[in-house]
Order: sequence, then structure tokens, then C-alpha cells
Amino acid sequence: MAADLLDGEGAQTPNLDGLVKFDLKVLAADAAEVEAEEFIPVFHRWITERVLPELLIDVADYSHVHEGPGVLLVGHDAIYAYDLSRGEPGLLYSRRRETSPELEGIGTLERRIESLLASTFRACDLIEAEPELGGRVVFDRHRLELRVNDRLFPADEQTALTLASAFRRALAEAGVRDGDAPVEVKQIGEPRERLTLRTG
Amino acid sequence: MSQLTVDSTATWKQRLEGRVPPRLDEEIDIFETQIAQKRQGKIDDKVFAETRLRRGVYGQRYDNGQRHDGTASRALEYPCGDLTKGPNTVWDAPGMLRIKIPFGAMNGEQMEVLADLAEEYSDGIAHVTTRQDIQLHFIHIDDTPDIMRRLAAVGITTQEACGNSVRNVTACPLAGVCRDEPFDVSPYAHAMTHFLLGHRDAQDFGRKFKIAFSGCEQHACGLANMHDLGVLAQVRTTGNGTRSSERGFKVFVGGGLGPVPHQAKVLREFVREDELLPLAQAVCRVFGRLGEKRNRARARIKFLVAKLGIEEFTRLVDEELAGLPADERWTAYLDRLDVADEHPTRPGAALEPGPRPEGFAEWLGTNVQRQRQPGYVTTAVNLPLGDLTSTQLRALADTARRFNGGLVRNTVEQNIVLRNVSEADLPALYAELRAAGLGAPGASSLVDVTSCPGTDTCKLGISSSRGLAGELRKRIADSIRTTGVLADEAVKDLRIKVSGCFNSCGQHHVADIGFYGVSRKSDGRTMPHFQVILGGQWTENAGSYGLAVVAVPSKRIPEVVERIAGLFVAEREKGESFQQFIARVGKARIRQLLDDLTKLPTYLEDRTLYSDWGDPREYTLGDLGVGECAGEVVTAVEFGLSAAEREVFQGLLELDRGDAGTAASRAYAAMVQAARALITTENIDIGNEPDEIVGEFRTRFYDTEFFFDPYAGAKFANYLFRVHGDAETDSSEEAHRRIEEAQLFIEAAHACNQRISQVQAARVA
Repeated sequence: MAADLLDGEGAQTPNLDGLVKFDLKVLAADAAEVEAEEFIPVFHRWITERVLPELLIDVADYSHVHEGPGVLLVGHDAIYAYDLSRGEPGLLYSRRRETSPELEGIGTLERRIESLLASTFRACDLIEAEPELGGRVVFDRHRLELRVNDRLFPADEQTALTLASAFRRALAEAGVRDGDAPVEVKQIGEPRERLTLRTG
Repeated sequence: MSQLTVDSTATWKQRLEGRVPPRLDEEIDIFETQIAQKRQGKIDDKVFAETRLRRGVYGQRYDNGQRHDGTASRALEYPCGDLTKGPNTVWDAPGMLRIKIPFGAMNGEQMEVLADLAEEYSDGIAHVTTRQDIQLHFIHIDDTPDIMRRLAAVGITTQEACGNSVRNVTACPLAGVCRDEPFDVSPYAHAMTHFLLGHRDAQDFGRKFKIAFSGCEQHACGLANMHDLGVLAQVRTTGNGTRSSERGFKVFVGGGLGPVPHQAKVLREFVREDELLPLAQAVCRVFGRLGEKRNRARARIKFLVAKLGIEEFTRLVDEELAGLPADERWTAYLDRLDVADEHPTRPGAALEPGPRPEGFAEWLGTNVQRQRQPGYVTTAVNLPLGDLTSTQLRALADTARRFNGGLVRNTVEQNIVLRNVSEADLPALYAELRAAGLGAPGASSLVDVTSCPGTDTCKLGISSSRGLAGELRKRIADSIRTTGVLADEAVKDLRIKVSGCFNSCGQHHVADIGFYGVSRKSDGRTMPHFQVILGGQWTENAGSYGLAVVAVPSKRIPEVVERIAGLFVAEREKGESFQQFIARVGKARIRQLLDDLTKLPTYLEDRTLYSDWGDPREYTLGDLGVGECAGEVVTAVEFGLSAAEREVFQGLLELDRGDAGTAASRAYAAMVQAARALITTENIDIGNEPDEIVGEFRTRFYDTEFFFDPYAGAKFANYLFRVHGDAETDSSEEAHRRIEEAQLFIEAAHACNQRISQVQAARVA
């Protein structure tokens, strides 16, 4: 479906507080100088050194797959990936559940999106500072994709409006952008695709 | 299905109400209840493990809550605490879900649901297995009931995908369109699937039971020879001189790969189509009644057939068959043989001259086969390591809908084929596949390396089979691009198959060049290796099994492929097949060719060999810190094990020369030598008499279970005990088996030696 531009509040606001499973992707500013395989030793070291305050389990390499998930750092609550989908490399944070102490007590959609941004940006910061990658990966924190990864929730206009509103506020709270800046809705009402919001 | 009007508070059970077949709905509800009961501690660990396995819910690497990071084993502290989903299997640990796809057939809607599930619960990848299943990895057990419901709503089940049950019924992916088959086996595979699914006579096996259907004898087809039950389509003439004919099957039993492969025996030269299901039922009853239950290592039906002999096994099946109560399902399906029919949706027409997309000619040459239906072809999608993304799966569903009505089949070579494609549509089809990243050429050729999951996700993996397979794909593709030795026409159609351990999920025994993962100790550390397997045959339904020639460090395996292929290119005789070539030049020559690759550098000389493909962690069992005293003893053991390896290799050469008796004797002697080597760690004065060695081995390593494999248990020790005192045989098949067993015994001795080193190091510390 063609993209819409939503810049107003929705008339109805469905309760999305129970929606936990999201994907948030930050696109790389320039990915030409790094191969996905270079993330394999980095992610292994993150597990060993417990770089993140959550349970990290394994590394999976799908760099052989065309425009696939690249190289994954699989955690209990989320999967981090240097993702290559649609030929747009970036860091993908895919949250599955919220069991680690820092995610305890998230009760609202807005707080959840704030925590998604915080977890994702923290990983971006770490990657940008990785000595093994030598500063060759830089993320554009203004080019984001937020995707609902749970098809039990409706991918309708009301959901999109509610989500877009919460996303804008969370972005402003995180200091990424002005709270009035528009959020583009990439997928809505398309049965096969997940509801996706995009900025930048 | 529109998602615009759904209730966000609904569950998948509510959402799919009325769409899940009642029997499966009940089945899934039961499993969900069992999950709740297990959480409350009301189900025994072992019982629950088998329960989930029978629903396809499998374990995955690190699910014991431990992970070795290259220097030490560290606990993975899952939030579930002590809750387990089986012995030594942590509840929260990610697992694998195996999804049965009978004879590999999927439609567009099923592909779309699989794509959704991979995104929402897995890692965005659907993996095609060597038995035509789909596997999803990194799945949480709590999500499995919903996944099962979503699958069931589109006609897919995970029931009996794992565990001691009838696994996915496989078949030739060209069934129905093949130019050589007498008839389409698909509806019979379909009938067999549904007849045995949950059948009461197939619930009490000691191990799994695999069935495959083939349409013809000469091709790899359904690989009937390497299955517990292999079914080969046949047509025979009936009546006295009339031209009428009837459909039926040649039925094989007792084949299988695994650590020690067995060629199937012919159970029936011909059974009519109406006799097939009762015969399968009778086989299941005999297997359930007489098959080994306590010793998993000898519980496959191949061991029962070998123990009883095919004549006695056949007699028992006949006896069982005679007493079976009639079941209308035996023949009811024969009125619906069109159940698996696939019809072209576009007119068949020849490929017209005209502009072609880039890469089309190469793809056409390797991935397209003419069907028996004029004007139509099958096209193979060459998947790297059997993987495709959710996006690709949806794109494939769309492409299939446009060109053949939306139907595809998974293959045992971990690819997907589209059938009934009009030749005239090939350029357009290729353009779509290529746009989705699915247009790689080289299907079913040298570059199309098959691999089991290995150490990536499998708990049993020893070496990184996927890492190696990925590396080989890259190097072979590079060699072809630069017209290197692997671009030669002579090696183009060779098959390479890789398993991460001896269990043979990568089907290494039936490859032209096969590999299975092992480890070796060097410089006080452990180094990943692969055994090189030669002499296997992919065609003729996996017509013969290869044997191990030598173990080479993992990182040197690409060089092994180049050298063997190079030798074949340089020295093959006109019309000589690869199998014939290997038999002619002999394994001694091949071993000589690879000899320098087996020399191991010290850790300081070359650290790269001490880690595996795609995994930077040092491949060790920990900081061994082997002391001087222990080091000396280890050296003696290694020396003894090396002698045992030489002995078994000599046995291999005797077998090649046709002297089965000597080959079997040497295999036995090799096991005795390996056992003796281990005994020297505790009794340096051990003599050379086999009785004494076997007796001490039993006391010191079997009774203490120190020799036991963590997963296979006593299996390898029993290889020695079985032949001790009964070493003589003239059977080449038995000699072949004993050589396999001796090789595995020696591998187990290497592993045991590593454990000894650890214990000694701990004592020194």
C-alpha cells in the first residue's frame, strides 16, 4: 500500500500497551567499508565480556543469504543483527520478551518505544566505538524503522496513528528529533506485511 | 486474510477458531496443557522431552545452560531458573522447531505462513533440511503451541517430526513430472503420511523411522536405499501375454546412514498399490514389537533386520500381515489419487529466441530440467546452505503463483523446485527469482554443497559443517569464475556433503566427496577436523556408501577438495566416473596426496587451525594446562591411537582389494589397539593379548562409563565387544560395517583421551 504521511493524532486510540514484539532498525550512514562477517568476532566478544546488561546466547551468521538478516547476536530478550534486508544495512534490534531487570515494569507503549530506542542506540554506540571495526560503521539515528512484529495486533490506521504518536514522542524524549516531525507509515492494511513506521 | 478488523486482545487460538482441523486442535491443546503441567512440575523430565520431540520441538546448542567462549565454559543464566524441558535442557533456552513437509510439497499460503513465523518467532530464516522439512531456529518453547496452530490452519503439522516416530515421508521432488518414472509416487507418499501419522502401531518404537518414495532406480531420486522403509515405483505386466499392467512397488527395509550406514534389503520385489499400507503397518508392528528399546545406539530398524536376517524379518512381517484386522484406509485413498496432482496454469510452449536477462544461460544450464510433459520444465532454486529469508519465501510464493499456480517442492539437496513451468516463461521467471536473490545457478552441482546444522545450532555437532560448506561454496564459485580446476566439466556434477559429526545428517556417506566432523588433540589443545569420505554414490538411490580415508584439519578442507578434484581432472580415464576413479587409484594414493595436510602445527606456529570456520572462539575444551607428566602419557596414547588409525586404514585397503576377511580382522585389531592405548594411561604394563585388553577396557572404561559418549553412551564400546571373540567374517558388507565401527571407536577413543587429559590436568592443578 502506498505510504501515508501522518502528522496528527488519531481519533481512536487502541490500547497497545500489551504489544511487546517490535523491530527497530537504524540504517547505516555508509556501509560500504564493512562486511557483515566482521561482526562475528565482535558479537562473540560481546557475549564473553557481557557487554550488554542482558542475557546473550549465541551468534548466527546468515551473511550468505541475499539481503538477509546478516549476522545476528541472539539474546534471550532480543536479537541484535547487522541486518542487510532490502539492501539497506543497519542495526536491527528485535525485541521478543522483557525479562531482564532493566526492562522490568514497562507498562506503556510510549515507555516501551523509549526503551527500544535506548537499547538500539546503546548497541549503535558500542558498534561505532568497536576497535575491530575501526570506526567504519556509522549509524544515521534519524533514519529509523519501527515495525510491529506481532500479527495478533491489527495493522490498521488506528494502530498506525497510535503508534506514530507514541513514536514521535519517544523520539523527542530521546532527543533524536522534534516531536512534531512527521513519521512515515510504510505498511498499513497489507495482510502479509507488518505495520512499519519510518523516519528520515 | 485481512488484518484490519481483528481484535488485538484475541489469542491465536481464538483467532484461528474453526480453521484448525479438530484432531490437530485437540493435539495442540493437549501439548499446551502439558507445557503448563511441566511448569508446575507435574510431568517427568524424560516424559516431557519425548512429548515435545514428538511435536517437533527440538533442543538446540547451549540449551544445557552452558556455553564455552573459547577459554572457559560459562553459565547462561536464563530467567527460568531450574525449570527444564527435558534432562539437562533449560526451559528458556532457544530450541529448534522441525516442521514436516510431506514429500516437500508446499503451496503459496503455506510459504507465507512459514515466512510470518520465521519473522515473529525465529530469526527471519526458514531452513530447508536434507529430509525436505523446514526448520526454524531460536524458538522459545512457550511460543510453540501458537506456531503449531498457525501451521495447522494451513494444513501443516509438526506432529511426529522428531522423537521415536515416523518422520517426514519424503519423495523424489520430480515425482509426477519426471521423464523416467513409471508413475507419480506423490499420492502414495501422501497416503502413507496420513495413514501412519499418530497410528497406534507406530507409537512404540525404540528410535525414529524414516520412509522415502522413489520413482526410478537410476537417479538419486528418493534415496530409497538409505531409508528404514524405501518404496520404489514399479509397473508389472499382468495377464498371460496381454498388455494390461498394474502399479506397485519394490519395497526396501533396513537401510540408513547414521554412524554406521546400512544398505536396505529388499523386503518385497513387488507389492500392489493396495498392499502397500498394510505392509508398512506390519513392518511398524514388527519394529515396535522386536526393535531394541533400551540401547538407543542399536534401536534403528536396520539393526533388527541385520540381527534377524532379511528372510526371518520377512517371515515375521508376513505373519504380522496375516493377522492384521482389515482397515478401510488401506485402499480408500486409491479413489483419490489425484490428491497431490499439480497442473500447469499456463500453456506449455517452447523457449523463443530473444533478449535474455544477465546470467540466464548459466542458470538454464544447471537449474532447469525438461519434464515429461512437453513444453514444461522444472526449475531449481539453489539455496545457500538451505536458507532463505521470509521476504524471499513470500517472493517465491508470488512467483510460483504467477508461473505454476503457487506450488513448490523442497529437495533433499536443500533446494526448492518449481514444477510445471512453461519453457516460454523461463526468462521472466528467472528475472523474478534473480530480483529476489533466488536466481543462483549451480543447483545440484559441485558448488551446491549440502550441510547439516553442525555446531551452529546442533547439540551433537563437533565441527562447523555450515561454516565449512559456506567456505567451500565461496571457493568453488571463485574457482569457477576464474576457470580454476573446479571449473572443469569433469567435476561439475560431483556432490559434496558435510556433516558436523558422525551421525550423518548431512548425508556424507552418499556424496562423491563427503566430510564429517571430528576433533584431534595437538600441542595440548583440541583442533577441529573433518574426516574425508570417498567412494559414496548419490545416484541409484544412494547406491553405495563411502568410507573415511583420513582426518584433516577443518581449515585445510578446501585444499583437500582442490587436490582431489585436481587429481581426478588430471588422471581420469575416458568415461570413468568419480567412483570408478577413486576405486582405481586407491585410497592409499589419496591418503598420500593429503598426507602433508594432516601434519599439525603447534599453536604458536598457526593459531588459525585451532578455531573453526565462522567461529573465532578457540576450539578447545578449556584451559587444559597439561603437565609434563600427563603430557608424556598423552603422547603414548596418541601414538597408540595413531597406530590404530593406520591399522583400520590398512583394513580399508584390504576391502578395496576385495579381501573382506582380512579387512574385518584389521578393523577388529584397530579397535583392540585403540583400547590398549587408552589402558596405558592407567596400566602401562598392559600386555598385547586381546582377551586381556578387552577385559581391562571393560573394567576401566566401560564399567566406569568413562569411555561413554555424552550422547551415544555405550554405543562405540559395544562395537568392540560385539566382534571380540567373533571377529571372522567373509562378508564384504560386514567388513565394511566393521571398518566404519572401528573408525568411530577410534574417534571415541580420541574423545576419551581428551577427557583423560582434562582430569590429569585438574589433578596437576
